[in-house]
Amino acid sequence: MLVMKNVNKIFQTADIQTHALRDFSLTVNEGDFLSVTGPSGSGKTTFLNIAGLLETYTNGDFLLDGEDVGKLNDKGRSRMRNEKIGFIFQGFNLIPDLNLYDNVDVPLRYRGFNAKERKRRIIENLDRVGLASRLKHLPSQLSGGQQQRVAIARALATDPRFLLADEPTGNLDSEMAQGVMSLLEEINQQGTTIIMVTHDATLAKRARRQVQVKDGRVSELDLVNHRAIA
Amino acid sequence: MLETGLIFRALMRNKMGAILIALQIALTMAIMVNAIFMIQDRQQQMKRPSGIDENNTFYLTNTVFAQDHNFQAELQTDLNTLRKTPGIVDAIQINAIPLSGGGWSMSLQHEPGEDKDAIGSALYMVDEHGINTMGLNLIAGENFSQEDIQWRGQGQSTWPPKTIITKAFAAQLFPDDWQTAIGKTFYISQTQPMQIIGIVEALQAPWNGWDGVERSMLVPFQMESSSSYYFIRTEPGKRDKMMPIIEKVLAESNKGRIIRRITTVEDTRKRSYRQHNATNKILTTVVATLTLITSFGIVGLAIFSINRRTKQIGTRRALGATRWQIMRYFMVENFLISTVGVFIGSIGAIGLNMWLVSTFNLTPISFELILFGIVALLIVGQLAVLYPARKAALIAPATATRTI
Repeated sequence: MLVMKNVNKIFQTADIQTHALRDFSLTVNEGDFLSVTGPSGSGKTTFLNIAGLLETYTNGDFLLDGEDVGKLNDKGRSRMRNEKIGFIFQGFNLIPDLNLYDNVDVPLRYRGFNAKERKRRIIENLDRVGLASRLKHLPSQLSGGQQQRVAIARALATDPRFLLADEPTGNLDSEMAQGVMSLLEEINQQGTTIIMVTHDATLAKRARRQVQVKDGRVSELDLVNHRAIA
Repeated sequence: MLETGLIFRALMRNKMGAILIALQIALTMAIMVNAIFMIQDRQQQMKRPSGIDENNTFYLTNTVFAQDHNFQAELQTDLNTLRKTPGIVDAIQINAIPLSGGGWSMSLQHEPGEDKDAIGSALYMVDEHGINTMGLNLIAGENFSQEDIQWRGQGQSTWPPKTIITKAFAAQLFPDDWQTAIGKTFYISQTQPMQIIGIVEALQAPWNGWDGVERSMLVPFQMESSSSYYFIRTEPGKRDKMMPIIEKVLAESNKGRIIRRITTVEDTRKRSYRQHNATNKILTTVVATLTLITSFGIVGLAIFSINRRTKQIGTRRALGATRWQIMRYFMVENFLISTVGVFIGSIGAIGLNMWLVSTFNLTPISFELILFGIVALLIVGQLAVLYPARKAALIAPATATRTI
């Protein structure tokens, strides 16, 4: 469970203060598939970065799986990212010098699994996304959709409680985007909580729950009438 | 968990920069190890004892210009004066000064005649005070007696029948047991017999670069020469005080000569090894510069690599890497590159040393020095990569989600 209460994020430069998030309160329950929409600069990515422990927040309360994130140091946040969160990035963010096997291996090594366990997880998850036969291929030898599938396999390999996706279909054509979306839905049905930031209203509607971020504030959308609920 | 395998495979797909740095490390290693070897070799040479009591000895040149000079009488007067002067332990006339760069050499051979094998030696003409004045250590046999001392005229080609040689010379003549040299007769100037009556522990030749620098012989001669050295030993700690006193005493006792070039043996040693010292400084500078350039190369490659992989580092952080794991990644990467470099460098160092050994007759490089070079360059590599690795570790995990 992810709980944010009155979270604020202020970026401070020499003479400008920017409120990226204002009194941001949101609860994401176990098994949710939440889409986050909003215009550019609304604070979607800031929310995702804070939810994924990639960035700290200025004030407020944030509990992730019952743990007070504000009390964690850098090492503690790294550990929590590795154990509880999987990331899917718009640009896939695969390591170009490593083949698919080694790419999926990266977070497993940070976890400290032994070689046998790592191999099992790598093959199982690449198989899950339909790429087990291409273990030795480099990312550059795959299509965009296939690269995003590898990124999903990498994100799932550590058995995360939350999957955070930042515009996961942003760099894909519509056919590939549909494929990736279907895969995310399948993963969600198997119990993983997904939070997906997207510009694409059509894809956002496929989520079980939608929120909109505007000027750093979040509002829940009525899925029937597509209106923001106060 | 170390990512050695992943790092190695990633390096293999992007190897040009790594290869260039590895080659730079290899070149540095080959040159560094051999330069240190040459420095050590020179330092060893400079540390060799001359056999003389260097702290308490000095010498001067006595040049006579008076026409009616009685060499024998005036030499005895001078030596008597010197030996009786308070603060002076002993004094002699001598033909050459160890490590001064100029002197005499002769050869001794086991059998008389031409075309016989002979071993070269530096030759010092001294009287029975020679051993005491120079502070030599007589380790076998006996010293010359007063009766053994002969006068040597200008151009004389005959030699006295006795000699005292150094242990190194005796060991060369009798490789099995140097002590058996005592009492043996050898031949000087091909046919003149000369009996070894004593062995001193050490007395270096005038030429520090000669491979027979430890081979010297004393012959019981006093020279009837218009120019010769007086070699003087003072009581401990009185050398510098006595030098001007002796100069004055000698100059005033005989106006028909010039006393000049009063020099300590310590200064002679310094002058003798001036080139060694200069070469060592140059080699040290070369080693330091090369190491510095290699360090800059490592820093440059690492910074370039980090700037190129900023997003990748952010992604690794997002996937759970701690700052230390990011730092360790670059340190392990550098370690792998350096290991290849020092491996190639070790082969290069040995190859270069083999060439130096065959060309300049040096001794082969030691395994310990190669090991030192390996360890030193691995440490230099790790220190050089520390700053860039730390910079990498500070890259924010949020970099992973940035689109620019």
